[in-house]
Amino acid sequence: MSQSYNRGLIEDFGRWKEFSAGMWAWIFHKFTGWMLIGYLFTHIAVLSSAIAAADGQTMMVAGESVDAYTGTIQGLEGLFIVRVLEVGLLAVAVFHILNGLRLLMVDLGIGLEAQDKSFYASLILTGVITVASVPTFLTGVGL
Amino acid sequence: MSTQQQEPETDAEPEPESQETPTDQEMSGLSSPQQKRLQRKHEGAAERERAAAEDDLEGDTVHLKVFRFDPEVEGKQEPRFDDFHVPFERGMTVLDAVIYARDEFDSSLTFRHSCRQAICGSDAFFVNGRQRLGCKTQISELDQPVRVEPLPHQEVVKDLVVDMDHFYDQMHSVEPYFQQEDLPDGELEEQRQTRENREKVKMSTRCIWCGACMSSCNIAAGDNDYLGPAAINKAYRFAMDEREDEEIKEHRLRIVEQEHGVWRCQTQFSCTEVCPKDIPLTEHIQELKREAVKKNLKFW
Amino acid sequence: MAERYSSFTPGGTGWLLQRITAAFLVVVLAFHFFQLHFISHAAEVTFAGTQARMSEVGYFLTMVLFLVTAAFHGINGVYNALVNQGLDGIQKKVVLAVLTIAGLALIAQGTYVAVVMAGWA
Repeated sequence: MSQSYNRGLIEDFGRWKEFSAGMWAWIFHKFTGWMLIGYLFTHIAVLSSAIAAADGQTMMVAGESVDAYTGTIQGLEGLFIVRVLEVGLLAVAVFHILNGLRLLMVDLGIGLEAQDKSFYASLILTGVITVASVPTFLTGVGL
Repeated sequence: MSTQQQEPETDAEPEPESQETPTDQEMSGLSSPQQKRLQRKHEGAAERERAAAEDDLEGDTVHLKVFRFDPEVEGKQEPRFDDFHVPFERGMTVLDAVIYARDEFDSSLTFRHSCRQAICGSDAFFVNGRQRLGCKTQISELDQPVRVEPLPHQEVVKDLVVDMDHFYDQMHSVEPYFQQEDLPDGELEEQRQTRENREKVKMSTRCIWCGACMSSCNIAAGDNDYLGPAAINKAYRFAMDEREDEEIKEHRLRIVEQEHGVWRCQTQFSCTEVCPKDIPLTEHIQELKREAVKKNLKFW
Repeated sequence: MAERYSSFTPGGTGWLLQRITAAFLVVVLAFHFFQLHFISHAAEVTFAGTQARMSEVGYFLTMVLFLVTAAFHGINGVYNALVNQGLDGIQKKVVLAVLTIAGLALIAQGTYVAVVMAGWA
């Protein structure tokens, strides 16, 4: 009786060093996509404090009484870790946008032979935009 | 033409004598494509000669690490890698090396091969982490040790032999044969294709069913129902063939636009990169996606 | 393979919608980031400022459409990622139902929040 041998998942992720540009683009696109949809849910949850604010609820921020919405957002924005996470979110969103444009081009059949170069370009551009935005994102917050 | 006796004293043609003398204008003349090709071939040969003289691999041995597994022999049921040191010869391919290993060292080493010239599609292996055709991969282009493994994402039957049934099932499910009911009038009339249309499907006809693309595809690995690059390319070859009727093209599009058809392709380009026949698989899949969308928009 | 003769296209419509929403989201997401981090800063957001922005009908409609397309694009993307991994049978139906409910709840809650912000509730 002959039986066959199934080597399982080792071929997929045990060989990440041999992945090519298109594969990395897919992995990053999927990862950033999960991040963004996850963020969308938290985003709406945080903004829901506007319902409480419209009801007239207030909270204390730095000794002052402000409405629940302003208090929640400014409380979060006052945390250094939130600012860092925001820079991360920007990087994730910019990559997803740029690689998304690359994928739209691929879907239209434009520049298929340059698909690896356009992936590297979107990576570099993401890095540049993220680094350039750090000062704007970190203004007025201390460690 | 071939029955005519050639006159040796007037014929100064450099062509080999076994060749037919070209008759149409395109083929004759000193700068015919045929002669250009021959000239390139001679130049290439001279180039290789020079390169080989400097080749330090000459007289060396090739270190092969070959995946071994045999479910029928106790003690071989646990997969392992065997080392073979094969004497290197100029122009040696991975297939040549494993043939040598089998013939000289271990006759139980099992793998498929037939034509040895990249036509039969039997010997796709996973060589140094990439799907390659054994007979088309030069040893001199690889880092050593050369790891030879069976194609990933298919079950291993023995050593380098994988079960291709699923791949063939997917290929057959796209009806990979010409379908046309209306034949042209006249007993000897042929079903002619325009040159442009032939050019359009040219690359897609080159598939040799080696399975390298399917093996490289991350989606085909996860979703067993996915048709896979080779089958979709085969569907493209017929859907784009203008000699088939419009209804048959629609029928073909309906096959590839099922949920586990073209939409599963995530444009990772893995298949396009490993295809030993350089078929632009991703491009063909994308074009079928657009064709399917267009057809449905028209329907609405 | 009986299903391959069906007259509708499973996947085809979703694929096209995913691309159309993508094209829209590229523009609006870039605008959204620019608006709330470079023009006015997120740290300086106040309820009054948000109310002022949201009570403009054009901005309100853009944001609600942004929410709907983003929710569709994200939920459909997650669903496709799971189908690509070979999700099948009853599991697939359950996942689709759960994701659809989550997406609709997200849109409902988000729209309600926007209406409250605009001061129309």
